[in-house]
Amino acid sequence: MPTNRQIRKEKVATYAAALLDGAYEQGGQAAALEVRDQLELIIRIVRTRSVEFSNALKDSSYTPEQRGSLARAVFADSNPVLVDILAVMAERKDFALLSRVWESYGEQLERKLNVTVVDVVTVVELDDHLREVITKKTEADLGTKVVLRERIDKSLIGGILMSAGGRRIDASVLSQLESARNVLKLSTDGGEC
Amino acid sequence: MNRKASRMARGFGSFACAAAAVTALCPTLAFASEESSGGINAILPQMDEFIPMLIAFLILWFILAKFGWPLFNGMLEKREQTIKDSLEKSEQARIESERTLEEYKRQLEEAKSQASQIVAEAKRTGDAAKADITEKAQIEAAAMIEKARAAIETEKKAAIAELQGSVADTSIAVASRLIGDDLSDEEHRKIIERYVNEAGSFNAN
Repeated sequence: MPTNRQIRKEKVATYAAALLDGAYEQGGQAAALEVRDQLELIIRIVRTRSVEFSNALKDSSYTPEQRGSLARAVFADSNPVLVDILAVMAERKDFALLSRVWESYGEQLERKLNVTVVDVVTVVELDDHLREVITKKTEADLGTKVVLRERIDKSLIGGILMSAGGRRIDASVLSQLESARNVLKLSTDGGEC
Repeated sequence: MNRKASRMARGFGSFACAAAAVTALCPTLAFASEESSGGINAILPQMDEFIPMLIAFLILWFILAKFGWPLFNGMLEKREQTIKDSLEKSEQARIESERTLEEYKRQLEEAKSQASQIVAEAKRTGDAAKADITEKAQIEAAAMIEKARAAIETEKKAAIAELQGSVADTSIAVASRLIGDDLSDEEHRKIIERYVNEAGSFNAN
């Protein structure tokens, strides 16, 4: 007899598979990657800014149809396949599984298309040479094709932060300065380091 | 003494009787004085005077022997008894005083011994208390010194840590400012390329 955890895992995998299949049928790899990006953005926004909206999608006082309509209205500008899946999740009060669906989506995307999405964060925009260098390195590391998703974050001060499939390489100046700060604070020999 | 007095009284009595007998048996001597007032007659008694005097003497002697002597003898005996009692009492008092003196001496010795023991005991107690107090004071002093030393060490470490933290924060802030403001985009890209080449693998994480 399957446990709740297994049921939830299957449910997450089903949502992710439906989303990936729909996006891929709609526009191929580009659409699939676009859906991934949109899903990540939605998760970030809901998590940091719209707790009230998130609670409303889990509220039993609303009917399933009302929750679905609310999701469709809010995410109307997103990919139609993503909007449909989000509406279904809202109707079934599974909106809390969104981040797990995103993780499962990334894993299935990697398996199905043999493509790994690597998130790259820097303080300046990458040029083609840098993209080539990063792509070569990550493809060599991961053993799959790589698609870079670039983002600029000035708080890194310098360097680069790369993450893929829950794994992360932090080569930012910010982290190095933090390490240096910790070493300076923890050293008891007068600060010689 | 009483017996001596009795012997003396009896001696006087015998002497008086002998004198009376000689006077009675030698009347010629008395008569001789009447015959001639000179010579030996001058020292011989006149019988007409001697007889009454002898009788008077014998009466007196009898009265004294009969009534005076017992009284005198009783006084002597009483006096002798009194003196004897006094001597016995004084002897008893002397013996008693000597016994008391011995008792006092013994008690004095005991008191001295007890005093010595008390002094010795007090000295031992005082020495023990002194040693105990000294030991406790030393332990407390050592604990206080150790505590103060630990507090100083803690304060010193905290001050050093605070100073290091402050220096670290300042250094990092300056470094961040310099890197963030002074580097151009191209320099940033060079740093990124170098970091990518030097960075570890995804598989290593």
